[in-house]
Amino acid sequence: MREMNENMSAAAGRRATEEAIERGGGVGLTVSELLAKVQVKGVAEAVAPPSPAHRAPSPGPRDLTELATAVAAVAGRYVPAGRLALDADFFDAGGTSVNAVELVSALEGELGVAVDLDEVFADARPVALAKRHLASTGAAIAVPETEAVQPPPVAAAPVTTPPDSTARPEDLTQILADLALADRLPFTASPEPLPPRRVLLTGATGFLGSHMLLDLLRHSDAHVYCLVRAADEEAATTRLGEALKSYSLPWSSEVRRRITVLPGDIRHPHLGLSDDTWHTLAHELDSVVSVAAAVDFLRGYQSLRTSNVLGALTLAELAATGRPKPLHHISSIAVFNEVGIPSMGEDDPLAHIDRLVAGYDQTKWAAEVALRRARDHGLVVTALRPGGIGGHSRTGAYNPQDLSSGLISAFGRFRTVPAFRYLNAAPVDWVSRVAVAAICEPDAWGFDYNLTGVPNTLDDVVRDMAFGGMHVRVQDWDEWRTDALARLEADPIPELAFLSRVLQSPTALKLCEATLKGPAAVAERTNTLVEALGLPPAARYDARAQVKTFEALAHDGLARLPQKDDQPYLWFTETTTGGVGPVAGTPDTPCSMALTLSIASMHQLVSERRVDVRGEVTCPALHHEPLTVARGDIWIRPDEGIPHQHGLRHQLLRYRLELTDADGGRWWLEGHKYARARRDVWRQTRALTVELGREGEPASLTGEVVVPANSYVRDQIDGIKVDPRLTSQEKRAAKLTWLAWFGLEMGRGLLGPFARAAADLLDLRRTQTPTEHHR
Amino acid sequence: MIFRTTSPRPTLRKVRTTTAPRPLRHRLDPTKVEEIPFTASDGVRLGLTRIDPGERGHPAVLLLHGHTASADMFLLPETRNLVDVLLDEGYEPWLLDWRGSCRLPYNETGRRYTYDDVALYDIPEAVAHIRTRIGDRPLFAVAHCIGSLTLSLSMTAGLVPGLAGVASQGVFLTPKLAGRTSLRMTLAGELLKSRIDHIPVDFRKVGLWSKYTPLFALASRKADCPDPTCQILHNSAWGTGASLFVHEHLTDTTHGRLAELLGPAPLWILPHLRRIELARTVVRWHDTDHRYRALPQNALDAAATIDTPVLLLAGSENGLWLDSQQLCHDVLARRQPQLDVTYTEIPGYGHLDTFLGRGAALDVFGHILDFLGERR
Repeated sequence: MREMNENMSAAAGRRATEEAIERGGGVGLTVSELLAKVQVKGVAEAVAPPSPAHRAPSPGPRDLTELATAVAAVAGRYVPAGRLALDADFFDAGGTSVNAVELVSALEGELGVAVDLDEVFADARPVALAKRHLASTGAAIAVPETEAVQPPPVAAAPVTTPPDSTARPEDLTQILADLALADRLPFTASPEPLPPRRVLLTGATGFLGSHMLLDLLRHSDAHVYCLVRAADEEAATTRLGEALKSYSLPWSSEVRRRITVLPGDIRHPHLGLSDDTWHTLAHELDSVVSVAAAVDFLRGYQSLRTSNVLGALTLAELAATGRPKPLHHISSIAVFNEVGIPSMGEDDPLAHIDRLVAGYDQTKWAAEVALRRARDHGLVVTALRPGGIGGHSRTGAYNPQDLSSGLISAFGRFRTVPAFRYLNAAPVDWVSRVAVAAICEPDAWGFDYNLTGVPNTLDDVVRDMAFGGMHVRVQDWDEWRTDALARLEADPIPELAFLSRVLQSPTALKLCEATLKGPAAVAERTNTLVEALGLPPAARYDARAQVKTFEALAHDGLARLPQKDDQPYLWFTETTTGGVGPVAGTPDTPCSMALTLSIASMHQLVSERRVDVRGEVTCPALHHEPLTVARGDIWIRPDEGIPHQHGLRHQLLRYRLELTDADGGRWWLEGHKYARARRDVWRQTRALTVELGREGEPASLTGEVVVPANSYVRDQIDGIKVDPRLTSQEKRAAKLTWLAWFGLEMGRGLLGPFARAAADLLDLRRTQTPTEHHR
Repeated sequence: MIFRTTSPRPTLRKVRTTTAPRPLRHRLDPTKVEEIPFTASDGVRLGLTRIDPGERGHPAVLLLHGHTASADMFLLPETRNLVDVLLDEGYEPWLLDWRGSCRLPYNETGRRYTYDDVALYDIPEAVAHIRTRIGDRPLFAVAHCIGSLTLSLSMTAGLVPGLAGVASQGVFLTPKLAGRTSLRMTLAGELLKSRIDHIPVDFRKVGLWSKYTPLFALASRKADCPDPTCQILHNSAWGTGASLFVHEHLTDTTHGRLAELLGPAPLWILPHLRRIELARTVVRWHDTDHRYRALPQNALDAAATIDTPVLLLAGSENGLWLDSQQLCHDVLARRQPQLDVTYTEIPGYGHLDTFLGRGAALDVFGHILDFLGERR
């Protein structure tokens, strides 16, 4: 082992830059030392952008350092800092996947370096890119491959893998090296079994983390230290506030008085905190909650490990230093994300690491396994594994970067779903509440929990969407993917660009496939915990829980709710005849309306209580030719039927039509049906009191039009038409749902005035002499 | 007989004393809490309390509790309460125990009243009294449930002009109950009104075998919590089947004190409540008594007289008044667009837990502070 290290340092003398990361893989360094190396190199050796003259492609094989420097110079243009160190990760430095695409074309155009986009995602350090390029062009003479990836000294021979393994060997080598870091953690005693009073929380600006921050404050008396990535405390506080507000969470002085914001970074040694702060925290904290992670399904292990693995180990180091404290780690169900895994129980074996493909899955696996090793050092580690984290069931706050947001939006837009087995997803409010309950309950510490809720089956999802008026068709996964990609390319939706990138990336596709074909997660221990603590039991993330999220997705342009101009979900005609006359005159001019009433979805009915109207109004008093309805709406029981003026005349329906006559004149029509406590109930449902006037002017005509009694059933019940794309069963269901909903609403509306009249009668009863004691 | 009730002790006639409110339960410095002897002009003794913020010149905030609750609901010693938060932000809290307070005996044994009395006497006279003490300083109001409903009647009657802002929780001008709740309220009220005149909530005071036992039994149907007081409030809202709060939001201490925080509900108020609820607007009860003519017959029709910004707050899970506040916002936006009315929904909260809940300071009071802060 010693020789190994000596050899390495000799090599490092010559090529310090590209060795930094690999050296870190050795067992001779602790996490913080390793991170410190990366940091120092990263900052000190950042390459200034070269002058334009430098950019000319230089042909022929080159030295690795020279090429890496050139690559770093190009890549530096696409990160916020404007420069990139040779061994710093492009994405960690702030590059986005859009930047990555630009980087690939820039490298090819300016340096003549052809790199595959997937290579960039797998490992985006300039050194690694240069190495890959040299290796692929056969110019790797200067850099022997054995030195490029340093195997961990414990395994002198290269890692042997079964023939069907899918992970890249260099990633596996790195994973083994990272796992070994857990062995350097200090030994620690058991923490005091008390609810936490001082908690460190990372990832408070993230989707789950921000909800957990609020739940920690609500359900414990703890003071929470939030580690936020920012230059200083003020910037960190602002960033945290913005994040909380963006997820519809409160950000008031009452929240601020119970938190301390620490500017820092889990990717740095000692979290980027000063030694003083680190030691104070190590001795004062009584709980460490690790939520922060880089969630990106395109990037590779090398690119994500600093955040997801080394970050978790730094927190383990903090938890084990000073006062013993439990570490609660948000892992992920992704640790099981292997195609063909038989079961996903809380204590079941994790996936085979050599068969995980996506870097995200690999890092979550490595972090959890490393923390398992930390348990042997006495550290109490709770691993909380959420599955898909759905939007908040009350506020609709969702995670825009999350794959499930994109998938749900695509399901709704294209009206197709890929055939999956189970969706292991739960709303963020439930996940966060249960995670916080485990953190606050000492008897729950130290175990693994699946926070996956109740899995949704394909049938459940199809039925839920039909319930919302979106009848979807099921397709095979490959068919669905091709179809969705084609549609996204034909009609690009900027908000869903990330989804098309995922659907094009081979690694992310493997991840999707494993997710969609995986078994249902089992969460017995979580269920016991939930029951023991009296928390809301896991419920299926169904249509009701998702409706707010779907509305939010539609509002932000990801999903799309059915709209007025689409093929209506259901429609029927309504004809009315009657007369109008001048205001305060006799209504002797005939007036009739032939309208088509339609709804785009049941959601429109339930949330807006509104029906769309098209059609014609024939009224010679306005124009000798029929007027067209430019825009029309009918509200059912508007304002809960509250009368316009004090009295018993409750509103039943409100019509508002904008009319255009043949000469281009514009008119408005306002109509009301009223419920009264009178016995002509049948007429009340049909008679429409109307007012008409020119646009922008007061009413010039008033009158009443009535639906003829003999046309009512013929048009409005027998005459209901339903979207022809639906099956006959779906059509019948749609028709019945509409009739039931509308009938119930009209019934309630008609009952209102009668109930008030009845109450007035009851109030005539003699006031009783009280017979109570104590008087 | 196994179940034997002891007959209640006779109460002495009050000859030389008058009614006095039960002492407040709080953890403030007693010297900072000033109890003001306050009697409405129709002779009813009420409770008015001023909390001294230490310095002078702070804007005053009048806090109005809901029916059968009391000023104690803003002073919970076991949680971060609204008075704490207001004092820290530099306001001077004033607490009115109007005649529906459980610190006062009227709900159980006193003389009867309707919400007209509250809107005509209690609130305007308390506001006038506070004005004599605070001078020109701004006066806000934060009102809960029926406190807010009666405040809306006072405001539309023009009896409390010039408030700097009103934060209303639960219900304001357009009360709406679920059909089931309304039906059960009417049925229970009509059936029971010749037998009892109030519904107690404290099982320990009435005993196991009493005429109220069937009510408690009914309230315990499908209840998760074994506490009878919690059942009749959380599971049944005095037998109406609504839910007053989200159970998980109360601390154990608050849960144990429910019987102290919420008193018995009088049955004789039901006719007025029913009239208001069926009309979906706040309406006056007394049509022929000219003492009440200052009040509008229909508060919604008179909403144009509102001269102050209004913040409508409601928990998304309010089991009693449902989405009344959203309805109120929509109706006012359409009929009185000139009014400054905003609506804020508090996700996951019920009705009472917006003030009693352990997380109320985090989730609710921030909205109130923002509203007051913009207008102080």
